Parts: sequence; C-alpha cells; structure tokens
Amino acid sequence: MKKNVETTLTVFYCQNSFKENKRTLEAQAGPRVRLFPIPCSGRLEPLFLLRALEGGADAACLFVCPEGACRYFEGNRRASKRVAYTQKMLKEIGLEEDRVFITFMSANEKRPPKKMILDALAAAEKLGPSPLNKAPLKEKK
Amino acid sequence: MITATRKPLDDIKAMIRPFKKVLIAGCGSCVAECAAGGEKEVAQLASSLRMAFKLEGQAIELNEITVDRQCVNIFLDQLEQPTQANEAVLSLACGAGVQALAERHPDRHVFPALDTQFLGQTKQPGLWLENCLGCGQCKLYYFGAVCPLARCAKQLFNGPCGGSQKGKCEVDPDKPCAWQLIIDRLGALNALDRLDEVYEPVDWSCKQGRGPRKIVREDQQS
Repeated sequence: MKKNVETTLTVFYCQNSFKENKRTLEAQAGPRVRLFPIPCSGRLEPLFLLRALEGGADAACLFVCPEGACRYFEGNRRASKRVAYTQKMLKEIGLEEDRVFITFMSANEKRPPKKMILDALAAAEKLGPSPLNKAPLKEKK
Repeated sequence: MITATRKPLDDIKAMIRPFKKVLIAGCGSCVAECAAGGEKEVAQLASSLRMAFKLEGQAIELNEITVDRQCVNIFLDQLEQPTQANEAVLSLACGAGVQALAERHPDRHVFPALDTQFLGQTKQPGLWLENCLGCGQCKLYYFGAVCPLARCAKQLFNGPCGGSQKGKCEVDPDKPCAWQLIIDRLGALNALDRLDEVYEPVDWSCKQGRGPRKIVREDQQS
C-alpha cells in the first residue's frame, strides 16, 4: 500500500510504560508524531483525544502498561473504557472510530519503543488523512 | 441530585445549525456530578460539534463557559454578557436551568443539550440510581429510608407484590426488590411495627395535580 507521508499521529503514553524520556522518544519517532506523557493512563480524558484530532492529527493513540500491571492498579482498565467511549463519540461526529486506539503493551514486550510508535503510525497511515484536514469551510449567511 | 444525559449529537446539531456564534453553557452542580453538563462535558461537546460541523464544511464559532448553578439567579449574572455576545445558547443544565436562563434572555434562543432524567444518587463512579420522585409527602420514616414509590417498580405502599425472587425485582431482576430492602432494614432496626399501619395511596395533587409547584419562604426573601 502506498504510504501517505503526511500522516500525523498524536501519542499519549503512561510515563511508567517507557524507560526513555520524551525527548529521546521524539527524536526516535520523527516529526510526524507528537508525544504526550501522562502520569498514568488512567489520567487520560476523552477530551485529550478529541482535541488531538481537532488540532490536526490524523489519529491519536494511547500506550498503556500491560493488563494487570498498572502501578495504580486500574489506570489502564479505565483508560481502555475511555478510549471506547471516545470511539463512540467519533462515530457520532462522523469520523472513523479507528482514528483513536489503545495499545496495551505486553508483559514481555520485545519491541523497542521506537518500533511500537512507528507501528502505531503505520496503523494511522492505513486510515489515510483525516477528513477534518481537507474539509473546506464555508461561512454561514 | 438531578441527573441528566446528553442528547444525541445530531439533535444538538439540528438545533444550533442556523447560528454562526453559539455559547455552550455548562452547569457545575448536579449535572457536573453525573458527568453530563460540567466543564469537561462542555469542552467535549464543543470539540465534537466543531469537528462535526467542519466535516460538513460549515464554520461555526462555539464559546464555552460553566457557572456553578444555572438554576439560581445570582449565578446567572455571570452568563449575562456571554449570552448577549452570542446568537444562541446551548445549555448543559437540567430543564430548570435551561428555563431560568431563557427567562433572563427573551431575545436569545436557549436550547437544551441534555435530557433531564431523575432525582438520584451517585451509587458509585459512573452509576446513578433514581431514588426520589419528589412526591411532596416524604414517607421515608415509615419505610426505613427506602422509598417504595421511587424504587419499587409497582410503587406499592403496603407490602411486596409477591413476585420478588431472592431479593430481586420480578420486573427487572437486576434491581433489588425495594420491599426486601425495606423489610431487611426495618427488621435490623427493630422497627417492623411501622409497617402495621395501612397507608393510603399517594396524594398526587401534592406533586403535579395543581400545576407547577412553588415554595414560598418570606423569611428568605429580600
């Protein structure tokens, strides 16, 4: 499949899930990925994901700790429900639900963070550019 | 607490479609507690609407504000200028708040973004239960602080219907039988004798039979 070089991705991630700091991850991921560490994935609000898409990202994703391994016990479970809720909102808005997604890291994750982020970017590329970024606006009379 | 849920986005879009500049006004009390109309929900709705209209190619300016209570005049003062600065207001308050705001602004459209539901309790995060009908004649003393009007599907005043099974309601087995709760609680408090009395049906004229109700307290008036 032909890659869309313009695809942009906003990544929220639990800061307990990656050892690398944000700057290192940014250097590895490249300019098409914007990274936002949060203290726990349970801090995620649906609004974060909506604002990411509204702000021009083609997709937004959340990296969370492995199931059952949240430092605060339930953060990743709650985050999962909030992503599902946001997906319902996207459907109401008229966007593809897959434009927001969650990635649970596995307990014995072998992929380096760079690979995980680029895999998420590849998933976003499959969706193509967000229709929000190409819709011309017309003023109401 | 008054509970509410958000209307479908398409319904909200249809109401505000003719306008170019709309204020989205939240209410920071009951509907914020039930995650329907507080500051977060205002921001979510504004973001959703901006994207939905953008997909249709329509430009719209949405402004956001949340006040502590939309049903109390003194808090509505904070909405005076923002309401006048917009063509219409989308209110995320309960029906009482929407009407209070509309009354203050006869020259502005005020639309409800929520469907007001019931008087209830936050049982746990994300779960709200109806437990008061506002009947105007509270009898919770007799029923061990469990209201058979609000919590019994058949609104029975004089004992269970006989259909309850293992403490669950036969109308909805997910819900506890209110009469089971009443008897358990009064039994534990050694007050089952309160049920010896035969209670007359509710006088619904205290609720809605004489039109909208009002409470007048001269000592509270200015």
